[in-house]
Parts: sequence; C-alpha cells; structure tokens
Amino acid sequence: MVDFALFHRSALAGAKTGSFGAASTGSRIALTALSEGHVLHVLAAHGSGALRGLVAQIGDGGPYAVRAYGPGQWFVVGDAALSAADLSGKAALLASRASIADQSHGRVRIGIGGASVEAVLAKGTAVDLDQANFAIGHSAMTLIGHISALITRTGVESFELMVLRGFAESLWDDLVQMSLEFGVEAKTAD
Amino acid sequence: MASLIACPHCGPRPKEEFTVKGDAAIARPAADAGEDAWYAYVYLRDNPRGRHKEYWHHTSGCRRWLVVERDTVTHVVYAVLDASAQGETA
Repeated sequence: MVDFALFHRSALAGAKTGSFGAASTGSRIALTALSEGHVLHVLAAHGSGALRGLVAQIGDGGPYAVRAYGPGQWFVVGDAALSAADLSGKAALLASRASIADQSHGRVRIGIGGASVEAVLAKGTAVDLDQANFAIGHSAMTLIGHISALITRTGVESFELMVLRGFAESLWDDLVQMSLEFGVEAKTAD
Repeated sequence: MASLIACPHCGPRPKEEFTVKGDAAIARPAADAGEDAWYAYVYLRDNPRGRHKEYWHHTSGCRRWLVVERDTVTHVVYAVLDASAQGETA
C-alpha cells in the first residue's frame, strides 16, 4: 500500500484536440483517448496448454477484452479501474496456470475510426489490415512508425491501439499527422 | 538483407521489427571445457557466404526468439521457426 494518495493524471490529458487537416472529405478520422481502466498482461506458465478460455474468464465480458499478444501471452483490458483485491481474485482464477502483470499504469488505449482508417494506419505499419486478413476482434503487435503498439480491430472501420504510456502523446501526434489528408477530429476523454 | 521475415506467430513482418543476434549453429561448451573453447564460443564468429542459420528476436512483435535460415548472397529466406521448436537450439 502507498502512504499517500497517488494523483492519477491521464496520459493524453495534454494532447492536442480539435479538428485538423482536410475539411470535409466524407472519410474523416475520429481519434479518441480511451478510458485508462485496466490493462493486465497475462503470461502462461510453461507447458500449461491452451488457456484462451481461462483467460477470457478474467476479462470484464466485453467483446474485445482479451487481446492476443504472442504465444501464451494476452492483454486483458477494460474501462473499469481494478483494486488490489480485484487483481488477486483474478490471479486466483488462473490457478497458477498463468501469471498477471498489472500494466494499467503502463499502457494506454487510443481509438481510431473512420472510412479511411486502414489507409491511415497503413502509413505506419506493414501489417495487412484488410478485413479478409484482419477480422474484427483480431490483434497484432507491431510498429507504427518507430513506436511499438498493439492494434486491435473493433469494427469494420474502427481500431484500438494500445501503446506504452510514455509514447502515447507522440503516437497521438503521429496519428493526427497521418490523418491530415482525410481530416481528423481528435478528442481526449473527460 | 531479406526485408520480410515470415514470423511463425505473426505472419510476414518487415525486418525493422526484429533484432538479429547472430549464428544459431554454435553449441555452448561444457562449463569445464577450457579457456579456448569458451573464447571461441563467446568471440569467434564466421562470416558465412551463403546459407546459414541465425537467431532473430521479434522485438516489436510477439517477442519470441526465432531461428531464421537464410542465404546471405541471394537473400532468400528458407525457413523461420520458433527457437523453442525441437532441435532448433544448439
């Protein structure tokens, strides 16, 4: 326990907001800072077998709560902040077959959507984002420019990016820049 | 250098996402193997022309160690396997 109350400041509180770029292309991009609820990094124990179903149990039931990261690794995300008791409850569910590393303070999520969202993200990553290869709910860890990010498709024209907190504002600025030709509406939460 | 590496977990990715560690074919000597064996293991490397195996780390992707078999002359990539696959690690 901490001896004093920590003051939580949103990673993107100081990020630039408003309208940028082309005025009305009909395919404007919407950039949104998402709630910094919880981000749990789940790592499977050696030889623990298929865990996808078990990991889903520690999620909040949201459709994109569990995001595959690599073999035996997932991120479990949600909008609600978790207490220490919530965390130990979730760890107990995993029954030593996997461990949880709380990354809620370390990674933030950015929502990006719009008709031209694939074209915007393709400027930064080599991952094929076409829906035939990257279905709704699919995740991929990759680079956007020089910044490592987990891309998750949450809809036909919407994605969520998860990035290390310290890189969030830099990625935000990059995304605004990448969206200028289509026009972009940048909105931080609260 | 080959610019696309087909990660067995992530699919084809650009080489910028990876870190190359080097020769995957050398074997770690026994703890008491002597100074010469350890010196060779730690410092001495060939600079092969042609087909060879290397360790690549998918640093900006799944963060797994891979063994990439590629040709240093033609840049052809023959195989990419997870380093934990049977028989891959020296």
